[in-house]
Amino acid sequence: MPLDLEQLLDLYRDMWLVRAFEFGLEREFKKGTVPGMLHTGVGQEATQAALAAHLEKTDCFFPDHRCHGLNALAQERHAGTGQRIMAELFGRATGVCGGKGGSLHSADPSVGNFGDNAVEGSFMATVLGVALAWKMRRQPRVACCVIGDGTVGRGEFHESLNLAATWKLPVLYACVNNGYAISTPVGEAHASANIVDLARGYGLPCVQVDGNDIELAYAAVEQAVAHIRAGHGPYFLEFKTWRWQGLFSGEFRPAAEVRYWKDEHDPLKLARQKILATGRAAEAAVDQIEAEAKAQIERWIQFAIASPMPGSEKATANVYVGWEAASR
Amino acid sequence: MTAPTAPARTRTFVQALTEALDLMMAEDENVYLLGEDIGRMGGDFGVTRGLFEKYGAERVRDTPLSEAAIVGTAVGSAMVGMRPVAEIMFADFLGECYDQLVNNAAKLHYMFDGQFKAPIVVRTACGGGFGGGPHHSQSVEGWFLNVPGLVIVGPATPADAKGLLVASIADDNPVLFLEHKALYRVKGPVPEGKYAVPLRQAAVSRPGRDLTIVAYLKMTPEALAAAEVLAKDGIEAEVIDLRTLRPWDTDTVLSSVRRTGRAVVASEAPRMGGLAADVSATIAEECWSDLKAPVGRVGALDTPIPFSLVLEKIILPGRDQIVQAARQVLGAQPVA
Ligand SMILES: Cc1ncc(C[n+]2csc(CCOP(=O)(O)OP(=O)(O)O)c2C)c(N)n1
Ligand SMILES: [Mg+2]
Repeated sequence: MPLDLEQLLDLYRDMWLVRAFEFGLEREFKKGTVPGMLHTGVGQEATQAALAAHLEKTDCFFPDHRCHGLNALAQERHAGTGQRIMAELFGRATGVCGGKGGSLHSADPSVGNFGDNAVEGSFMATVLGVALAWKMRRQPRVACCVIGDGTVGRGEFHESLNLAATWKLPVLYACVNNGYAISTPVGEAHASANIVDLARGYGLPCVQVDGNDIELAYAAVEQAVAHIRAGHGPYFLEFKTWRWQGLFSGEFRPAAEVRYWKDEHDPLKLARQKILATGRAAEAAVDQIEAEAKAQIERWIQFAIASPMPGSEKATANVYVGWEAASR
Repeated sequence: MTAPTAPARTRTFVQALTEALDLMMAEDENVYLLGEDIGRMGGDFGVTRGLFEKYGAERVRDTPLSEAAIVGTAVGSAMVGMRPVAEIMFADFLGECYDQLVNNAAKLHYMFDGQFKAPIVVRTACGGGFGGGPHHSQSVEGWFLNVPGLVIVGPATPADAKGLLVASIADDNPVLFLEHKALYRVKGPVPEGKYAVPLRQAAVSRPGRDLTIVAYLKMTPEALAAAEVLAKDGIEAEVIDLRTLRPWDTDTVLSSVRRTGRAVVASEAPRMGGLAADVSATIAEECWSDLKAPVGRVGALDTPIPFSLVLEKIILPGRDQIVQAARQVLGAQPVA
């Protein structure tokens, strides 16, 4: 079922928030105001917006390293504090983890964000436990983990799918197949370039979808979440997409491929075309959405920069629950 | 829930552990067990025997050979309020779930700034001496010692096994609970009902004035046996059982050494990078002016553990090595 205009506009705004977030972050990273490493989700906005639209704050998701956008959308939607994701990436006290987690370890359980784990894909094992607890308590919730195509090489991928299927756990596997793991093409690293082929043997529904088409991605997540909430067990979704960020040092992919994904199959351009094709939205109004998203991100960046650094007492806080860290 | 009030009966180490699990499961439905063959079969060593029948397949959950998923499941469920007790059949397989313990369970309270905790217990059978060979005999605590956020517990008596397991399940931190295979069949007095042996508190297993022997797990009975031998020569050794291996009880150990002026630290693990190294170094740092001799250190030879019992005996330390180290420390000239 096609989305109505209102929904399309909402999702378009979310997608622009994600892109503006990442562009703003890249700019600041180059300036040196954002420490550490940076992996961006530019190009994958439709996938992230579709997930964010369906996950409630009582659900959970384990975001991967390209999910700043998903984190910010959940934070903004459920708590109205998207700026705290930005502040976390700047390592500030106002961040969701007080600056101790950063880009690769942002979490806020109050909005369902159970945290990235920079050991890529380890949470494929962890997600089982959340799902198991909810199943034992008869809570119709969804435990989602976001994994890249490269990450499915982990042994935990198979341990997780096997147990989720055997125990009929409410797990949503959101596999973001963007064609590469750093420099390695998906087809060279795995027995199939289509990850659903690897997952099917475990007997759970496996669906591949164009992750750059917001309508298709939205509908796919909607169906997966309904299946899980109805108690039918796990669901595997593979989003075919592409990340704009190449290697950290630059582009390595064929020019024609780059052109296709950036020009012809860009999720934001596709969404804009859909909106305009309804004939019921003025171009100026659509431009306005983009401008507002960019302005909002600049406010978040200003918030982050103006925020205090964590106090030194935080360095040794929360090593153990209830005990001081050893002084030696 | 602290000191035992009921009288003690004689129980094996395994039975003591089962009692602890049973008590905690009866009291709190968030406590559940998972691991390989722990259900109908009751576990490789019988620790969960009878619990499947009593609590059912939901709470005594058999798993495939998926160690990462076992500990991952434990961690995830603990993040939403469960109190899982996972069994890893042999400690040697902790490599398969190392990442979950080290990078996830031990860190998530810290890296997410207190928003999550991971109150899990991972029970596992460690230690050698029975011909288990290189992959079923290791002392693994050294693999985990420099992981802040992790608690490592290792009981030496049936009574402590029960009380420490109760305390570990009740504690909000992730606990790696080491059970030495050679101790499973040992019998001893075990108080009835629920009691906790506090974590991070060593026990003085035998008081003495001439020297301090610090031990844990199987080395504790070996140290007590060594103390008997030494006593025949009129030497009174104080034996301290660490019980919690990380963070270990510096107060009890250091105050004993300050009194006796001599120390031997005994571990079944290879000496390189082991707990005995940390205890020895801390004694040397903190008790320098009280020491009458350099600290003695007993450990396994720096090799994998062979299958042949004859060879294994050459590798692993025991009573005689502790006696020898004690005599050396006692015979040494005062440092100053
Ligand atoms: C277990 C593990 N191995 C390797 C890495 C280093 N690493 C970070 S991202 C990455 C590639 C991941 O590829 P993919 O899952 O396809 O995600 P993408 O970056 O393409 O979104 C690697 C190898 C890591 N962080 N964790
Ligand atoms: Mg990829």
